[in-house]
Amino acid sequence: MDHGGGHEIGAHKVAHFAGLAFNMDTLYMTWLTMAIVIILAIATTRSLKMVPGGVQSILEMIIEYMHEQVDANMGAKGRKVAPLVITLFVFLLVANWLGLVPGFTSPTNDLNTTLGLALMIVLLVHILGVANNGLSHFKHFIQPNPLFLPINIIEEISKPVTLSFRLFGNILAGEILMIILGMLVPYIIPSGWLLFSVVVGIIQAFIFTILSISYLSSALKESHH
Amino acid sequence: MEHAIIVAASVLAAALAIGLAAFGAALADGQVTSKAIESMARQPEAKGTILVNMFISVGLIESIPIIAAVIAIVLVFANPFVK
Repeated sequence: MDHGGGHEIGAHKVAHFAGLAFNMDTLYMTWLTMAIVIILAIATTRSLKMVPGGVQSILEMIIEYMHEQVDANMGAKGRKVAPLVITLFVFLLVANWLGLVPGFTSPTNDLNTTLGLALMIVLLVHILGVANNGLSHFKHFIQPNPLFLPINIIEEISKPVTLSFRLFGNILAGEILMIILGMLVPYIIPSGWLLFSVVVGIIQAFIFTILSISYLSSALKESHH
Repeated sequence: MEHAIIVAASVLAAALAIGLAAFGAALADGQVTSKAIESMARQPEAKGTILVNMFISVGLIESIPIIAAVIAIVLVFANPFVK
């Protein structure tokens, strides 16, 4: 078996601009995902019917289910961030599935994408916490006892790290396994793995979204004790 | 000679990483799923909620084994010690 796959796996076409390095293939796939999500949203809300049919009802299912989760976890203030959370879910769904189309790769197989999204969520938690509760938002770091400060700091750091690495690892490992299976046992087994990757895409998008809701709820729910 | 040692050690490390990760993931997933099916049998009307929570738990449990798999893949295919 030739070792030709060694350098393509995990390598990106890098462009250098203004002293920074950009992974151009990840950016192209991200723009494609954005275009698909925008076209999907505009096309399904173009002529809203009271009795929906087809794509409108699928999108309504997603939105209703996400609203349920937001209301259950965040209460009344949750509706402010519900659009962000629903868009996050649809974006991640399309992004994870894009890699399964032959010839395309997922934008989420790059750590930059997932880390960017995870950092966005963590920053949003702190910004919303301060906007809601003022500086007493940071009191939860010393909450049971000031000795808990190192543990709470480690927990805060682990949130974006696990969030990003979970999604990145699942999608990258799935794509690499697809390549390897294609080299070893063509046609039948890669198709089985493709089916499983569809489910993995949904599950990982859902887990990212649910964890984001849970982290955001801790920022929005706290009131003065 | 050094190259051979590096390659052999990387392959061994990759196999160990993915083996232990698979063992841990399988054990944990089995426990979660068995408890979930037990509670689904006790209360069939909560089946939807329990199923959703089971998928979330499996996804969370699998995060570290997935990271171990990524490390194993990097060691075999994109080894930073081998030029």
